[in-house]
Amino acid sequence: MRITRYFATCLLLVASAARAQQPDTIRSRSKADSIAKAVRDSVELMNALGAAVADTTQRPTVPLRPQGGSTNPRLLPDFSAVGDLVGDLSPKGSTQPDHSRLGVREVELSVQAVVDPYFRGDVFLGISDLEKISIEQAFLTTTSLPNQLELKIGRFLLPFGKQNLTHRHDLHAIEYPYVLQKLLSDDGLKGTGLWGSRVFAPFGFFQEIQLTAIDRISPATDGLTTAEDVNKSLGGLGFSARLRNYVDVSEAANVELSFSAMTGKRDQPLDATYTTLVKGGSNSQFVPRDVNATIARQSTFGVDFTYRWRPLQQGLYESFILQSEVMHQRNERNPALPVAECPFGAGTCGVPAYAGPARDYTGAYVFARYQTGQRRFIGARYDYVQNPETNGRTLNAGSVYLEWFPSEFTKLMAGYEGLKSADATLSNRLLLQAVFSMGPHKPHPF
Amino acid sequence: MIRRIHILLLAAALVYAPRVASAQLRVVTSTTDLYDIAKAVGGNKITATHIGEGYQDPHFIEAKPSFVLQLRSADVWAFVGLDLEIGWMPLLLEGARNTRIRQGGSGYLDVSTVIPVLDRPQGNIDRSMGDVHAGGNPHYWLDPQNGRRIARLFKTKFTQLDPTNSSAYDANARAFEARLNAAEKGWQADLAAIKGKPVVAWHTSWRYFAEYNGMNIVAFMEPKPGVPPSPSHLYGVIQTVKRTGAKAIIMEPFYDRKVADLVSKQTGIKILILPPSVGGIPGAVPDYFSLMRYDMSQLANAVR
Repeated sequence: MRITRYFATCLLLVASAARAQQPDTIRSRSKADSIAKAVRDSVELMNALGAAVADTTQRPTVPLRPQGGSTNPRLLPDFSAVGDLVGDLSPKGSTQPDHSRLGVREVELSVQAVVDPYFRGDVFLGISDLEKISIEQAFLTTTSLPNQLELKIGRFLLPFGKQNLTHRHDLHAIEYPYVLQKLLSDDGLKGTGLWGSRVFAPFGFFQEIQLTAIDRISPATDGLTTAEDVNKSLGGLGFSARLRNYVDVSEAANVELSFSAMTGKRDQPLDATYTTLVKGGSNSQFVPRDVNATIARQSTFGVDFTYRWRPLQQGLYESFILQSEVMHQRNERNPALPVAECPFGAGTCGVPAYAGPARDYTGAYVFARYQTGQRRFIGARYDYVQNPETNGRTLNAGSVYLEWFPSEFTKLMAGYEGLKSADATLSNRLLLQAVFSMGPHKPHPF
Repeated sequence: MIRRIHILLLAAALVYAPRVASAQLRVVTSTTDLYDIAKAVGGNKITATHIGEGYQDPHFIEAKPSFVLQLRSADVWAFVGLDLEIGWMPLLLEGARNTRIRQGGSGYLDVSTVIPVLDRPQGNIDRSMGDVHAGGNPHYWLDPQNGRRIARLFKTKFTQLDPTNSSAYDANARAFEARLNAAEKGWQADLAAIKGKPVVAWHTSWRYFAEYNGMNIVAFMEPKPGVPPSPSHLYGVIQTVKRTGAKAIIMEPFYDRKVADLVSKQTGIKILILPPSVGGIPGAVPDYFSLMRYDMSQLANAVR
């Protein structure tokens, strides 16, 4: 690719030079003038910046801020926006949830600031045609706990596996790997609760333990009603743990091997709608309720591995990432079922039967990305997952990506995916993505 | 009972106090240049490490977790500032969970606060101007006068945090300045050869160097800071080189020189790979003095 770029540059230069050497015409003179002006402009820009310094012998006083507006702009939080636009040119129609060919998948607005001497705050709002406005993340982070301890309170991307912690627009592919989509969530599994973590290095390399207690491990499923709330008892809360292990292999290469686990209860369907008696009302009397779901425990375990290579001197132009995650999800097969009360309500009479997952699921992906130039990358991913939506029948996908960054603040990507779904049909997907970022967006975790 | 507690507290203080007094300040710097000057001022009273290497673009350092281990026990975090480290420093400071080196902490040392900054934009700026730094040009260490300012700042900070060794810090800072004064005398002939000579620079990182030695930057290879050169911009650079007789393209070792080769082939201009930082060419520039001397002599030889 670099050779191609080199030759393309040469050709353009030769062509430009050849044009410039033609007999004087208005067009060629005009072209040469405009190019010369562009160069003069770039130097003048630098000179103007330099000349703009009022007095270089004085120690700077107040950092420069935009004029006007707020009464105290130095205390304003950082505001930023990220636009995530997706085009779907798949030959057999759009494969997007809203069936759009060209759409704004999401706009993310963020507000980030240090709140006080003890906390910083981060708020991320997601705006999309499908979900309207949603609170993607909103959390306080402690800044002054001793012993490398850190607590977060609020809603956050759950520290489970590697890619789940990355915002979707910042992935090196257009969508999350299928194992995350099918076993965790389409757009990143979030939890609301408490996150505690500690960094330590008893063996001389970086380790971090991340523990969370969250309201529930998955949002309530549309259309499912349970006799009791999933989190009615504390045992219904979700809990997760992740152990990160990071080692520098050399100056240019490093590996991370981490282990994750989470458990909690969630709603799972029954075979029909039944009427059961639940305690309710101000007198805690039994009242009938139509239910079509029960509560079952679900536990997920994961291992993720990342190898990174980036030579320090030529790191602007060359890098490589190899990443893989394996996840295994265990589902409770025989949860407690509600007692159907035939005389009440409109529910089916009979003994409720569990219609939730009757098996465990496993999935994995392998992803690699190579940097071919200062702003160009190519990537490929293989996905495998036993799809819970089709009772565990296997979904396989292979995809390739071309990624181009016109600058640090824009990304253009094209991806092709061959998808072999549960019924063994092969479908082709052609996806395009444009991402732009405005404002001081905080860097994403390593 | 109270007397016993007092005795225990006194004993603990006696045991603990000498450890504090004898402990070295742990200093971590973002670049090798700050590291070298910190070592010169701190001497054997500090331990110092650095995050970036001299042959690495300091804008694009990866926030590796291993750096977090360096920072979590640091007493001083010294960084260039002016947003040079904006892409990675917040992650490391957050990950380190070390209140001493967070903003507002006693060890948070933004070195740019003592520097007369160049290229500080006035009025509105936006990203159409490239990777422009809102606070000004951060590559200030390439002016020896700023090297002195950095040394004095380290002396002040180390003295503040470790007053028992203030005399050592003061003596070391004076020795650093004396050595720099002597070195400057050694490259006066080079300065005379460089002054006013037209050169092309890749990035704005050489502005302070030019301010010091008087070289005349007639074009930048980057049309805007951080933006790779386009063919049309290169054509303009070639015309400028021919018109001004520029003698050298100055560029850092971490940029791809193929494009510079192209300009060189068209114009005969020399390509000068100069280390922008200590360690920028392994073995050749192991400290601040050798860095300045090397860059000055290489440039003088190229433009003579």
